[in-house]
Amino acid sequence: MLKKLARWSRIKSPWILHLNSGACNACDIEIVAALTPRFDVERFGILLKATPRHADVLVASGPVTRQMRDRIIRIYEQTPDPKFVIAVGACAMSGCVYRGAYNILGGLDQVIPVNMYVPGCPARPDAIVDGVVKLLGKL
Amino acid sequence: MTDAEIIDRLKADLGGKIVELTHPAPRRLFLKAAPGDLLAVTGTLRDKYGVVFLSTITGVDKGETFEIIYHFSTPEQDFNLRTELPRARPHVESISSLIPGAVLYERELQDMFGIVVDHIPDARRLVLSDDWPEGQYPLRKDWKHERPVEVIPGGES
Repeated sequence: MLKKLARWSRIKSPWILHLNSGACNACDIEIVAALTPRFDVERFGILLKATPRHADVLVASGPVTRQMRDRIIRIYEQTPDPKFVIAVGACAMSGCVYRGAYNILGGLDQVIPVNMYVPGCPARPDAIVDGVVKLLGKL
Repeated sequence: MTDAEIIDRLKADLGGKIVELTHPAPRRLFLKAAPGDLLAVTGTLRDKYGVVFLSTITGVDKGETFEIIYHFSTPEQDFNLRTELPRARPHVESISSLIPGAVLYERELQDMFGIVVDHIPDARRLVLSDDWPEGQYPLRKDWKHERPVEVIPGGES
């Protein structure tokens, strides 16, 4: 019974944290666009939070730069369990055009475990919403 | 002032200090000076030609030497001051005593090329990450990047 309640509340209110680890800003604009009333993600209970301590889902964009590595791990560890990570855009998936540069470690999965990948350069807002909803469907 | 007049003035003012003076396009002037004359030439440009703004510094790795190009801009002309440093002893004098905004570009020059800027007011690292190993300069041509081994979660398919 309690488990069922926890699962229900988890699915009904995934609060997200927007994390940029060195993106060119295109994916960030699309993430912000996905949060506008036009797409109305609050009907899924998705709310943007300002701190990782309140968040359930990390929506991350951009390749992992060397400088951001420790900070990403710190943010991931601050997020309470159960936590999920969505990599938005080609850079967060693999590093994309920045892959192999001297200051880039690669995609987000080189540093923290990733649950869902949303491809695109940049990913469309509908794709981002779809990614979050599909992640919720897996729970 | 037209370009021809400026070139004549430059030759009169800095005759001995300029090794080479080219004029490849309208309003673009390329000056070449020895590293020791850098401060004197910059000072003259600033005081007599209204050069107060440094757009950027370009570094070129030419093998035996490093070439640095200071791109100064005025509303009328671009003055590009080139100088060459030996690779074995890449030392250059800081021009931030004359143009304070140069310090950022000089810090980046130190990071990326390993050129030592003498008398720089602030020698901290600018663009490279905090855990970057000493003595690695990514924009040098002989620098090889060792990519970290990528782990594919779940293995390759």
